[in-house]
Amino acid sequence: MKPEEAARLLHAYVDRELDAAKSLELEAQLAADPSLRERFERLRDLSAGIREKADYHAAPSSLTERLSAALPGAASAAPRRTVRWILPVAAAALVASLAVGIALMRPGDEDALLREMVASHVRSTLGNRLIDVASSDQHTVKPWLSARLPFSPPVADFSPEGFELAGARLDYVGGRPVAVLVYKRRQHLIDAFIWPGNGPRDGAYSRDGFNVERSSAEGMRICLVSDLNRNELSDLARLLIARR
Amino acid sequence: MTDRRRFEQQVLPHIDAAFNLARWLTRNAHDAEDVVQDAMLRAYRHFEGLRGEARPWLLAIVRNACFSWMQRNRPAELAAGPDGEAAEAATAPADGPEALLARELDRRMLNEAIAALPLQFREVLILRELEDLSYREIARITDVPIGTVMSRLARARRLLAESVRVITLASRLQTER
Repeated sequence: MKPEEAARLLHAYVDRELDAAKSLELEAQLAADPSLRERFERLRDLSAGIREKADYHAAPSSLTERLSAALPGAASAAPRRTVRWILPVAAAALVASLAVGIALMRPGDEDALLREMVASHVRSTLGNRLIDVASSDQHTVKPWLSARLPFSPPVADFSPEGFELAGARLDYVGGRPVAVLVYKRRQHLIDAFIWPGNGPRDGAYSRDGFNVERSSAEGMRICLVSDLNRNELSDLARLLIARR
Repeated sequence: MTDRRRFEQQVLPHIDAAFNLARWLTRNAHDAEDVVQDAMLRAYRHFEGLRGEARPWLLAIVRNACFSWMQRNRPAELAAGPDGEAAEAATAPADGPEALLARELDRRMLNEAIAALPLQFREVLILRELEDLSYREIARITDVPIGTVMSRLARARRLLAESVRVITLASRLQTER
């Protein structure tokens, strides 16, 4: 491979878009050429830096509300207080089933909840109260949490996948006690807030430089908070959901 | 299941991705809201045409909605493509100023530098780094060949590293003064 071609393919390599044969060829070149290696590392750092530090603009709740009103279909007949009680039962059931996703928790509540969790994450990383029970052993962490909570959260170590379980703590957000699993990845700490219940909307969110990944599985709500980039955060979310 | 319900399950969950793209392309939250609302209604009308994954499909619609919005409201920005395709291709792959360490990246500067990128470079960068889409998906969304996606992405990163470096230098000079 000529140096010009190697330089051209660096981006595709960083983006994991190079086929196996070309990757091997390029890796040989990287091992032999320190200046190419340096370029590769800078490029990789730049890409990681963008993923970690560029703003991810999550949709504001006002947009979700506007949209919900603007979309044609049943939910546009949003139940008005004056007419709701005269709607036939069937229509009410339909409206209820549509509204469940939106109205279970008002968007304002959701924002407040996200703020609370980010604040909890920041407080615990600033001080020393990050972990009440320090262990990477799920058989230590899970009973500890179960004994102190009215529910039994899923607990698992994902060290092989690069998310090491560091321990857990208890916290109180949204007016309820929650389990917080603490994971480590490189220099990043990730808080996984877990409680029973379904939330209004899954997805990513970012605030003050922290990323929040919301998901739910089988009646458990899982919210990950970290300064880790979104893609790796959603990797952990997938692992946690698969483990449920 | 009603169409609306299916739409709410398959497409609506990607509203954050839609807004993020629109916000970066229009560089304004208020305009992005309008564009995304239009795009979502359009997506709803063409919902039956959805094959495969919903997110890239929706992002293509959002991207087109952004461009029509710009055509109406900021035609200058669309016309002022800084360099044509020829210039993109001619970009020398010589030791580019990706010479920038991630730890030097200041969050605010980085965001300003991305916002200042010309549109065609900004969109591929956002789709790649923030939406983590493949070259093929980005090519489909931006309606250009994969080779163009690659050269634009390389150019975007070089421009970005360059401008972050200039901003960093300037701010250092200012504090020294």
